[in-house]
Formats: sequence, C-alpha cells, structure tokens
Amino acid sequence: MASAPATASAEPILEVSGLYKHYPLTQGILFKKQVGSVKAVDGVDFTLRRGETLGIVGESGCGKSTVAKMLVNLERPTAGSIKYKGEDITKLSGRALKAVRRNIQMVFQDPYTSLNPRMTVGDIIGEPYDIHPEVAPKGDRRRRVRELLDVVGLNPEYINRYPHQFSGGQRQRIGIARGLALRPEVIVADEPVSALDVSVQAQVINLMDRLQNEFDLSYVFIAHDLSIVRHISDRVGVMYLGRIVEIGKDAEIYDHPTHPYTQALLSAVPVPDPEAREHRERIILAGDVPSPTNIPSGCRFRTRCWKAQERCAQEVPALVVPPHLRGRGGPEAHDSACHFAEAGSVMRSAPGQVVPTEAES
Amino acid sequence: MLLEVRDLHVEFRTRDGVAKAVNGVDYGVDAGETLAVLGESGSGKSVTAQAVMGILDMPPGRITGGEILFQGRDLLRLKEEERRKVRGAEMAMIFQDALSSLNPVLTVGDQLGEMFVVHRGMSRKDARAKAVELMDRVRIPAAKERVRQYPHQFSGGMRQRIMIAMALALEPALIIADEPTTALDVTVQAQVMELLAELRREYRMGLILITHDLGVVADVADKIAVMYAGRIVESAPVHDIYKAPAHPYTRGLLDSIPRLDQKGRQLYAIKGLPPNLMDIPPGCAFHPRCPLAQDVCRTDVPPLYEVTDSDADRGSACHFWRECLHG
Repeated sequence: MASAPATASAEPILEVSGLYKHYPLTQGILFKKQVGSVKAVDGVDFTLRRGETLGIVGESGCGKSTVAKMLVNLERPTAGSIKYKGEDITKLSGRALKAVRRNIQMVFQDPYTSLNPRMTVGDIIGEPYDIHPEVAPKGDRRRRVRELLDVVGLNPEYINRYPHQFSGGQRQRIGIARGLALRPEVIVADEPVSALDVSVQAQVINLMDRLQNEFDLSYVFIAHDLSIVRHISDRVGVMYLGRIVEIGKDAEIYDHPTHPYTQALLSAVPVPDPEAREHRERIILAGDVPSPTNIPSGCRFRTRCWKAQERCAQEVPALVVPPHLRGRGGPEAHDSACHFAEAGSVMRSAPGQVVPTEAES
Repeated sequence: MLLEVRDLHVEFRTRDGVAKAVNGVDYGVDAGETLAVLGESGSGKSVTAQAVMGILDMPPGRITGGEILFQGRDLLRLKEEERRKVRGAEMAMIFQDALSSLNPVLTVGDQLGEMFVVHRGMSRKDARAKAVELMDRVRIPAAKERVRQYPHQFSGGMRQRIMIAMALALEPALIIADEPTTALDVTVQAQVMELLAELRREYRMGLILITHDLGVVADVADKIAVMYAGRIVESAPVHDIYKAPAHPYTRGLLDSIPRLDQKGRQLYAIKGLPPNLMDIPPGCAFHPRCPLAQDVCRTDVPPLYEVTDSDADRGSACHFWRECLHG
C-alpha cells in the first residue's frame, strides 16, 4: 500500500536489467545435445526503490516466480544483472554473496511445505542465525525469536510447537517471521497469500503492510490475484511469457492500462458486485499462452491479440512510454510494450461500499 | 424444486474424535437456476455436495440425518444400484483439479465415450463420434484430431473443458461444480465460466457452484448460500446479499477482500480462525469471531431466521440479523 512519502524520489535499492533465464532442453541419453530452451524469463528490467512495494502480476508460466528466485539468488540468471545498491549480485560469490543475501529475504507461497515439519517454530525462525551468526549472538537467539513471534502476531509461548499445530495463516506468519529474522531490507514474497482462506488473507496482508512501515522494508510482491496486488503495491508490472509488458504506478496500470494484455487481464477479473454484471465488457482472449520454448516473433502477445498487425510479427515492441502517448502526458503515459498502445477503458462496477478501517486483530 | 437438501447431517469418525462436517444444511435448486454455495475450507460445502452426488467416502464419513430429494425421490433411500443410474446420467459433477480427475493412461476420447458405452449401451465407434461432438460443443479446437490425445497433452483450461464435456455427456438435469476454476488463470477462468453459463442456459440445467471466490459468485449466481462450520448462515438472492448482508460473517467476508476498483487503506480482517470441527463453539459457531456477539450468542444456536425486512426470500442464522442488515 502507498506509504506516505512519494517513493519516486527514493533511491533505488534493486535494479534489474536485461534479466534472462533460459533452461536448456536436451535430447539423447549419453551424448546430450541441446535441442532448444525454455525461455522462462526473457529480458526483464525494473527498479525497486527503498520503502516501495513493486507488484508483479501474470498468469502461470509467465516467469514471475523465476524472477523471484533469481532475486534471492536461488537461480543464477543466464544473462543480465541484478544490482543491489549498485553492486551486481549475480557476479558475487562466497562471503560477499552471503552478506548480500542477508539483506534480501524471501517469503514462500505454500506455508504447508515451506516449513520443516520436524523442526520447532523456534528452530525454524532461528535457523537464519546459524548461517549468519553475526546478527545475533548465541545466547540471545531465543529472545530474538520470541520477539519476532510477537511482531508477527503469534504468542511467544508457541516457540516450542511444531508447524502442524498451526493453521495456514499462522504458518504464513511463521514464514514471515523467518524472513524478518536477519533484518533484511528487501523481502521478495512469491504468492504469499494465495494458499490462504479469504478471511485469513486480509490478516496477513495487513500484517505485511504494518511490517513494511515498522521496518522500512521494500517488497517485491508476486501474485496472480490482481485485486490483492493493487491493494498492496505502489507500482505494478504485468508479465507475459517471460517479459514485462507494462509497468507503472498502480493507478496507471489499473485505471489507465494501455497494453491489450493488461486490458484483457483486468476485464477478466470477477468483480464482487452483481450489479456490475450487466454493464461490463469482458475481453475474452482466444486460445492459450504459447509455449515458452517457441515464443512468437515480434510481439509475443500477438497470437492472442485482437489488434495485431503485420508490424507486430516483425518488430519487438520496447518497454517504453509509447511515442504517441508521450506528448500528452497524464496517466496513460507510462511504459507499455505495444506498438498500438492506447487507453482502453475497462468497465468496472459503480463505486461500491466503503471498506471500513478497523484495527487488525 | 429440482433438488432439495433437508436438514442434512454428516460426520467423520477419526482417531481423534468425531468431526461434525455438516450440521443441518437446507438448500434447493430449480431447473435453470444457479445456486452458489460459498464458504471457506472446512465449512462443509464440498462434503454436502459429495453427499448429494453419493460419492462420500463411507467410512470414515457417515450421513447421520436428513433427506436429499432429487426430482421428488429421496436419494438416501435408494439402493446403490439405482443410485448409480442417477449419478452421471441425471446429475454430474465437475471437480477442481481436472488433471487428477482424468485417467492419464486413457485417451480423452475413450473417457468421454465410456459414458455412452456404459449408460447408453452404444458401440465404441458411435461413442467415439459422440465424444468428438461433445468436444466440439465445449469448443475444443480440432476435436477430431485431439480426441485421440491423452490428458497431459491438454492445457489446464482445455482439461477443464473436457471435464465439462464429460459432465454434460448424458444431459443431466443437475450439475455440481466444485471450485471449477480455482486452479485456472483469470483469463482462462473467464472462458470456462462463460462456457458453463451458456451451456446451462441452453440445456436449462440446475447448477450448484461451490466456491470461495466472491467475485465469481457475483458474476454468475442467482442465489447464494453462505456456509460456516457445517451450517448455512445466510441464504439470499445474489443482489440482496452484496447490497446488504444480513449475517456478520458474510459482511466480514465482503469487507475483507481487496477490490480491483477501490484502493482501501486497510482491509477489514475477521479476527481469529475458523473453528475446529471436532470442537465447534456452543451457541452460534461464529460468536468467538463476531463483532456483534452478545451473551445469547454464546448459549443459543440461532435458527435460520426469515429476514422479514426484505422483499426477497432470504434467511440469516444470526440473532442480530436486523442490526447487521441495517448497520
């Protein structure tokens, strides 16, 4: 959610440029030869500023989780750079890498499989201290873990319990506490609430929001649920088949999308308001997402796009402010990788009820 | 009424005790109508549907009371043989996870055709032709060629279409769809829901849509039943419930979802956790999480009150439904 000061002026904390991840496809048993590659991430650029939340949305297979893994160095990119405070972390190794990793932590999607069932909650949250003992001296760890449990809204007395004794929402709180243990500056959250029930989702989102202000965190928030991403993000990037096709401030993307894919995606989201049923136009995309082993030439969205022309098959559209929108300024003038980008109104419901603000439980 | 569930009770016996999954559910669907059953995991929405379909695992499950009237007959009194004839031919189910519901070693043509061989006694060849026709109807491109393919050769959205084709095969009067689009991406979800709605209109089928997604419900449902801890806590036509919920749980759910068209400051969060089904709180099961709870809620189980302040036919299992509706 928008933190009070405008984040546009804040210094960049992560700069990603020209990021690629291609997985080779091989054939043959003894003599493997490469017959192609899965282009999971195929040229991604973005900047994350201090204190900001950057949302990344996209459908399954668009490469958003691979980007997340590269940000925390669980995968090495094929090409490109990830600069943390000006230093390219993809080139680092050994001690220097370890130091950087401390500052970029991850929260995983599935709170049921990302916690070791044989470890107590205290051991799970305290494990990062085994790897980075400089953060907390041995005698101090239990106290720190208790503090962390308290911070994420769990009873510190639960320190000796096992993950199965907690509900899904509580487990995700444990995952968040582990992510916070080393006092990182950046948290990469990959679908942190999609495994949770609706009533519990709100609790976890409010928690992440509070922690951001409390610890001055920057988030990369990855999800397929567009409503949640809008709620939490300052800026949003839309990914399709390994690339960001449109990126901008949340209102620019959600209220003034210019890329046809973003428009289709937004129009497909069911709005919880039956009154909106009659007067909404839905763009139903034809067909399926092409295989990442065989990406269409030119614009990768052209095979499903209703605006596609000759030019789209020839020229790859760059992720820039489209020239014809540049002069006009206003919210339409943001980066959009489409030759024929134009403002398209996405029909929405009339203003609905006001969401009451209430203290988190 | 096409289907009427009356006072259904289902429990599961486990090593740790008895889990009361369904505790007196009533709902009904007419031909051509869509009923959405809304609830979180553990609310009993799927168990109720499995009891209706007759595919509940027994044991550990046990139906301890109630009636399921389908076209006037009580399904719970039928013999398994007769029940089997109803299942598939007169009512069919679409599951959430199409990949694990399809047999990976049979072609989709064989699986679709099997319906006609078993229920209609058709020859393999005729059944194959029928399968192609069905795949055309759910708009799978190049059906003639793809009928020979295996489930893994289809995308998620296409697999769900095959599930729908299979459910439609014998033109049942009732379809139960259990989270049919939860595993799908939004653009595909829109395709599948559109198809389902269209086919329902065409065949005038009754549809029970089980989901936790308030957005999907608003898009397609005629009426809604909200479940909590194995009971229906609110039932109403779709427009009324979104405009003014008459149960604090429904209100909490509606307020806790972030919306695409609004950027709120903070989300309302329902406090606490859903109840443990082995130890459901006394009185109103929602009272420990409810902002309106009074002493009476801790002791007296609220019946499904008729909401008399509304023109529509609606009910709420809250002692203070009036306060909730107007507050």
